Amino acid sequence: MLSIRARILIIGGLLVLMTVIINMVRRRTLELKYVLAWLLGDILLILFALFPGMMMWLARILGIYSPVNMIFFLGFIFLAGIVFSLTVALSRLSSGQRRVAQETALWEYEREYPKETAKDIDYEEQAN
Amino acid sequence: MKTKKIVIIPAYNEEDGIVRAVNEIRRLAPDYDHLVINDCSKDATLEVCRRNGFHVATLPINLGIGGAVQTGYRYALKNGYDIAVQMDGDAQHDASFLKAMEKTLLEENCDMVIGSRFIEKEGFQSSGLRRIGIQWFSMVTRILFGQRITDATSGMRMCSRNAMELFVKDYPRDYPEPETVCRLLRHHLKVKEIPVVMREREGGVSSISSLRSSAYYMIKVTLAILIERLR
Repeated sequence: MLSIRARILIIGGLLVLMTVIINMVRRRTLELKYVLAWLLGDILLILFALFPGMMMWLARILGIYSPVNMIFFLGFIFLAGIVFSLTVALSRLSSGQRRVAQETALWEYEREYPKETAKDIDYEEQAN
Repeated sequence: MKTKKIVIIPAYNEEDGIVRAVNEIRRLAPDYDHLVINDCSKDATLEVCRRNGFHVATLPINLGIGGAVQTGYRYALKNGYDIAVQMDGDAQHDASFLKAMEKTLLEENCDMVIGSRFIEKEGFQSSGLRRIGIQWFSMVTRILFGQRITDATSGMRMCSRNAMELFVKDYPRDYPEPETVCRLLRHHLKVKEIPVVMREREGGVSSISSLRSSAYYMIKVTLAILIERLR
């Protein structure tokens, strides 16, 4: 289905990708938690490239005629899944960030004006 | 000059056990300051702490055990503490062992003393699945870092300032214990274990429960330790 040369290139590229990802985690550029899915996908693709029989078998089980189509289809599902999980993580992070920012602002305000915080202002006295 | 010592107690939804835990610490180790880190609990943990006069810092968002404990280390480092101990807020850990841990830390010049359940194998030994994980990490640390840690996941650990400095710079978000021990080993800091006895969890729920999260935990921490070896 694929020439030997193509398979070697693909496996090589996937190994380089894995090295790059692991190195980024090592340098603390990436957080391991979010990287696990990518590593899993990488390993799976390497297995498919090494053992095309696995691809055929999976295609037969899923009832898809062409293994190549199956790769694209599964690849799409995989990417969509990763993007969606990132969307969830992003939403959580942004709401957390908002809360931390607000708490910090209020904490600094209360520290700067320990006696005269908003509720202490005597409006009656000010009006006179 | 007296050594400044503090007990860091991370707490998430521990309204049931926190009073007993902290009061016991104050009673058995009166020479230690304490600081409860309330990890944005959804229950009455914060109120219970305040009502009982415990020192408690509350996080505005939930950071997980790693983030909470790191907060404690940050405080300990900033405020000149020489020794910081991490203890659970559910009274599983027995504060009477603090003296022995402190003695080991100071006399043998250690940077971390871990309270291990599995040296003497007394007391609550944890569920079967968890024990498999603990034995696995024991083997992994021995192979990669040359030292056998019998209880890498123990949450009862005492640190020197050297260890605190490393932890403040970077600390994993979840399941931080095995990885951070390895980090100390990588920096050639001295880590020792002494036997302790732990009790079964009183109220609340452990953060490592289902089978799926156990698999994630094992894979993630093993990978993290491997990457730590590469640093």
